[in-house]
Amino acid sequence: MNPRSRKALEFVLDNLVWFMLVFVLIVFSIFVPNYFQLGIFANIIEASSVLGVMSIGLALVIIAGHMDLSVESVAALSAMTVGILFCSSGIGLGIQLSPQWLMVPVSLLAALAVGGIVGALNGFLVVKLKMSAFIITLASYIWVRGLVLVISGGRSAQDLAPSIRWFAIQRLIGLPLTAWIAISCFVISSLVMAKTPFGRHLMMIGGNETATFRAGIRVNRNLVIAFVLAGAIAGLAGWLLAIRTSGATANLGTGLLFNAFAAVVIGGVSLKGGVGTLPGVYAGVLLLSSINTAINLMGLPANFTQVIHGLLVLAAVLLDAFKQTIRQRLA
Amino acid sequence: MTEPLLVLENVTKNYGAIQALRGISFSIGKGEVVALLGDNGAGKSTLVKIIAGGLEPSSGRMLFEGKEFLAKTPAEAKAAGIETVYQDLSLCTNVDVVANFFMGREITRKVLGIPILDERAMEAVVGKALASAGTRIPSLRTNVEHLSGGQRQAIELNRFVHWGGKLVLLDEPFAALGVEQTRRGLEMIRQVANQGIGVVIITHIMQQAFQVADRIVVIRQGVVAGDVARNKTSPDAVINMITGETLAGAGPAG
Repeated sequence: MNPRSRKALEFVLDNLVWFMLVFVLIVFSIFVPNYFQLGIFANIIEASSVLGVMSIGLALVIIAGHMDLSVESVAALSAMTVGILFCSSGIGLGIQLSPQWLMVPVSLLAALAVGGIVGALNGFLVVKLKMSAFIITLASYIWVRGLVLVISGGRSAQDLAPSIRWFAIQRLIGLPLTAWIAISCFVISSLVMAKTPFGRHLMMIGGNETATFRAGIRVNRNLVIAFVLAGAIAGLAGWLLAIRTSGATANLGTGLLFNAFAAVVIGGVSLKGGVGTLPGVYAGVLLLSSINTAINLMGLPANFTQVIHGLLVLAAVLLDAFKQTIRQRLA
Repeated sequence: MTEPLLVLENVTKNYGAIQALRGISFSIGKGEVVALLGDNGAGKSTLVKIIAGGLEPSSGRMLFEGKEFLAKTPAEAKAAGIETVYQDLSLCTNVDVVANFFMGREITRKVLGIPILDERAMEAVVGKALASAGTRIPSLRTNVEHLSGGQRQAIELNRFVHWGGKLVLLDEPFAALGVEQTRRGLEMIRQVANQGIGVVIITHIMQQAFQVADRIVVIRQGVVAGDVARNKTSPDAVINMITGETLAGAGPAG
């Protein structure tokens, strides 16, 4: 094989999920009535913002060779915190700040802080107690959701302050600002992973933790930062979720974790760690969202989505194995 | 012997009731190559890990350049100038050759105060280092998982030659290398030593030890069983020290 076609093939392998996304979009555009519209595409991007942001945090930790099952509950806790503080009906306290816009940074900071604290706790326990991240974050998944129920009393908060809601209403080039927030999160985190020593170190820790420790990389510090980031990013997802639903309910976001996992795996991140890129994860998120949209448009019962997502994850894993064999033959 | 670089005084290591090291004392001079020999389980790798900062000794002390020295982490040892090549390779196979070469020491440039990896500069350095060592790797951008065992070991060896430092510890560095590459590796060790860097090499192969070392230190059951200049001993004598047919601390056998 000459170097040129080899390079082309590697490019396709590296970006396989993007090609799948384009393929799926073309197929749906041809076969699903009313699918091919700018409004639909905008909707796909918009609908995937919360899931997308949450997947970033999950992907970071998985790439570093660990696991964070708590992202969904953390997002719910952050959403509930924002809801209780800044909603005017239900259990909302309806806190008013003047000037009005001040509520935006305050609510955002609250959401990020809630997420960051849970993330720091996860990271600390995983690194210090050397326990499996799976167990630690499974516990967080449960107790954080429990905390949401405790602080809300099972009730909901509605009518989020308009100055915060503004992010869901104001549009820029056809997309609401919330979608742009998700997109910029992907751009920034992709750059961090690909271009900075921190990103490189996370990748290498996921590949061979012993080697990075011996090379003098501060593994524990990097891992704790990754968990804090995953928590804070989940907090941001919760903030977006609260804006999207203009409030928070106690069971907000249930099931998002498994979609996030699906997106991450479909996006080419290996659960063994050390493999995957964030643009791929975004493509995975968009792929899930475009399939959801197609199911809605075709009028299939929504229950089908779950079946299809599950099959998609299986397909992604098989595809990953297939990619590995091709790569080995390339080398 | 020249000025001592690293001095070990009665270093011990216990794992519960098991004494892996029962009191090791020896020293390494600047520019000196010391071959550390001993049977399986004699405690060689444990000793290397203690010097390199992976393990803490149970008792005893070390002097590095005349100062009390104890590395709690490999990072501390590295900062002091101690490079280590481990028996089980320390490469991240999921990233490329360049990333492995610069692991933890990436060249960066600041953009808006944020450190950004300078891939081109790093690739140039790696290309030069590998070329001067005669190691051929098709593409520096291939992930290490696609390279052969020999190529991987070559990367590790070139890495330590490039970074140098003051003391280099090699734990069976040639296990996966072919004849020609081993010869080159031994040459590399001499080169490194000629720059005034101390080298400790663990090996099982007597011939290699006699080819490269200035001094041979034999460890048996956690103590130094022999510490002799290479030109004052013979392979047979060393084997006797390893297996224990000669008394501890015995001198040259002729």
